[in-house]
Amino acid sequence: MKILLVEDNERVTQFVVKGLQEAGHTTDHAGNGRDGMFLAASEPYDVIIMDRMLPGDIDGLAIIEVLRKTGKRTPILILSALTEVDDRIRGLRSGGDDYLTKPFAFGELLARVDALHRRAKGVDTEVPLTVGDLHMDPLTRRVTRGDRPIALQPREFKLLEYLMRHAGQVVTRTMLLENVWDYHFDPQTNVVDVHISKLRQKIDAEFERPLLRTVRNAGYTLTAGD
Amino acid sequence: MMRSTAVSLALGYVVLGIAALVLFAAPLWYAWQVTIHEGRTEFLQADAQRLTDVFRRDGADGLKTFIDARVQMQIANERILLLTDASMHPLAGNLRAWPAGVPVAPGNYTINLNLGNQGVQNALIHVARLGGGYNLLVGRDNALFAPLQTHFWYGLAAAVAVLSIAGLLIGLITRRALMSRVNSIRQTVSAIIHGDLKHRLPTHLNDDELNTLSRTINGMLEQIELLVHGVRDVSNSIAHDLRTPLAELRSRLEELALIRPPPEQTYAEIDGAVADVDRVIRIFDALLRLAEIDAGLRRSGFVALDLADLAASAVEFYAPAAELKNIELVFRSDGPLPVSGDPILLAQALGNLIDNALKYAPENGAIEVAVRRCGDGNAEVSVSDNGPGIADSEKSKVVERFYRGDASRGTPGVGLGLSLVQAVAKLHGSSLVLSDATPGLRAAVTIPLDAANTVALATAPPQTAPGSAVPAPVTCVRVPTSTSS
Repeated sequence: MKILLVEDNERVTQFVVKGLQEAGHTTDHAGNGRDGMFLAASEPYDVIIMDRMLPGDIDGLAIIEVLRKTGKRTPILILSALTEVDDRIRGLRSGGDDYLTKPFAFGELLARVDALHRRAKGVDTEVPLTVGDLHMDPLTRRVTRGDRPIALQPREFKLLEYLMRHAGQVVTRTMLLENVWDYHFDPQTNVVDVHISKLRQKIDAEFERPLLRTVRNAGYTLTAGD
Repeated sequence: MMRSTAVSLALGYVVLGIAALVLFAAPLWYAWQVTIHEGRTEFLQADAQRLTDVFRRDGADGLKTFIDARVQMQIANERILLLTDASMHPLAGNLRAWPAGVPVAPGNYTINLNLGNQGVQNALIHVARLGGGYNLLVGRDNALFAPLQTHFWYGLAAAVAVLSIAGLLIGLITRRALMSRVNSIRQTVSAIIHGDLKHRLPTHLNDDELNTLSRTINGMLEQIELLVHGVRDVSNSIAHDLRTPLAELRSRLEELALIRPPPEQTYAEIDGAVADVDRVIRIFDALLRLAEIDAGLRRSGFVALDLADLAASAVEFYAPAAELKNIELVFRSDGPLPVSGDPILLAQALGNLIDNALKYAPENGAIEVAVRRCGDGNAEVSVSDNGPGIADSEKSKVVERFYRGDASRGTPGVGLGLSLVQAVAKLHGSSLVLSDATPGLRAAVTIPLDAANTVALATAPPQTAPGSAVPAPVTCVRVPTSTSS
């Protein structure tokens, strides 16, 4: 996909652009608010990664507000060194779609960019989901693998639904915490891992091909391919 | 000076006072004048009547003798008498001639009369025509009442003068008092502006307007000083506690550059370095979150929520982790608990408490998370474990930043978990209460129930059957037993 990165720090830029390229994305870069605003308004991008604090008189939030007012609906991921919950809320209110605080792991950034892109393409919450031979009907809440029904607790269902909607992508622990449990803190114990392994017991244990895989240093991915 | 509030106010009152005096004096003066005039007129008429009676009885000569006797008896020339014949020739009385300006017609007249030895006096004259062309003039000199009138005017003038001077003086004194207090406030404030936050405005025992204002400003200064100290504390903690992991990271990287181990080992070291950095970031985030809560800035995140529901979700979240350690995680609730709070922070605080309990409860142990309604209009959420507990002497220390009890040595964590719970409790107007669960630790936080909150009642499923007994209200301890406060 085509991504615009608006970021003034050179090291961060280098790191992100290289990483995105390796993941197969084309990336444009703007080093200040003015260029960022120009590129974002004139070129079609799939996702915009926007640093909040930029040199010059135009900051990230101002660009986002202008874009949204002019009807641009490109998904935007805000990068910021401001970690306070209120800053986060302000960022999302201004029209950003997701918020990632600096410093961040590249895996987290990539996973979130993928998720944003997926979400922008439209999510039909009523269409049955399929990953390999795993099926889920969000309406009847029935889950089957092959022809065997799988009984899930409500929260396990939500967890699996999130993984299935992001099938083939890496989903980080933080993303799961935020989206499945609506928790915005980092539990000291590895509770998410335990939830995943319980889910794995239910959907993978008795099958030859595991669908739910752990991605080292990043998170998890649910995929039918290799 | 004219722009001083106190002086303008005093002047206003003076003007108002004078106006009131005049309004009081004017009708009084008028009534007095009318009464005097009428009284004297009647008196003169009666006098004239009496003389007329003498004339009728004894004739002109009789009256002449009578008048002469009256004039002789008179000590002061207060009474004016004159009898003339038809050609206006004076026959008797104390006037030498019929005064000019008094018509020879019956009636009452007020004129200025030259009374010879007494000079010109204002007098009230009554004229009566007797039979046979005789004319009678009776009068009274008005000078008798003049001193009284003068006293009236002097009195009024004196009152106005006293009022004006006193008003002005009070205005000036008030202004001086006000100015001295305002100046002292100004000096204090400018000292504060120049960076010395220790200063406070002087306050007195009485509760006047300035004092109330000073007290409010002092309260504000208190909070500002607290915030500034908070920021200073955080920077100190950051400086102190981030140095250790940063030092480790630095030596790891330096060693790597120095030894240049084979690639496989290098990658492992790099992973280790990333983990070190992640630890630094975690401490950083925790500290910032704490500072943010301490500053009370998160009040904006307060919403109506159900504490029981929040606790149920947290228990559900941690259940698999407990299962893994073979710990029995029990949840007790007696129905929805509507409170006003920050759901993100409350979830984190409760998460920290359960995290702690999971860390310290032994294998095959038990943890109880309970939410209940206290008797005093509070909701309490508590987490009890059957682990080693915390000694009374340590209970107050564990909520301090970066403090790690003996039992926690060798377990993961940065020593900020309980301080965060304490900060969140404080934000919700409460505190973290640690007590013994014999064995183990019981950590509890109380939050005031919010009667206006209907969220809990609307969303929570009924927990007790209709008609079933409502659990008896219990008393919850709100003050930590281990600290002196």
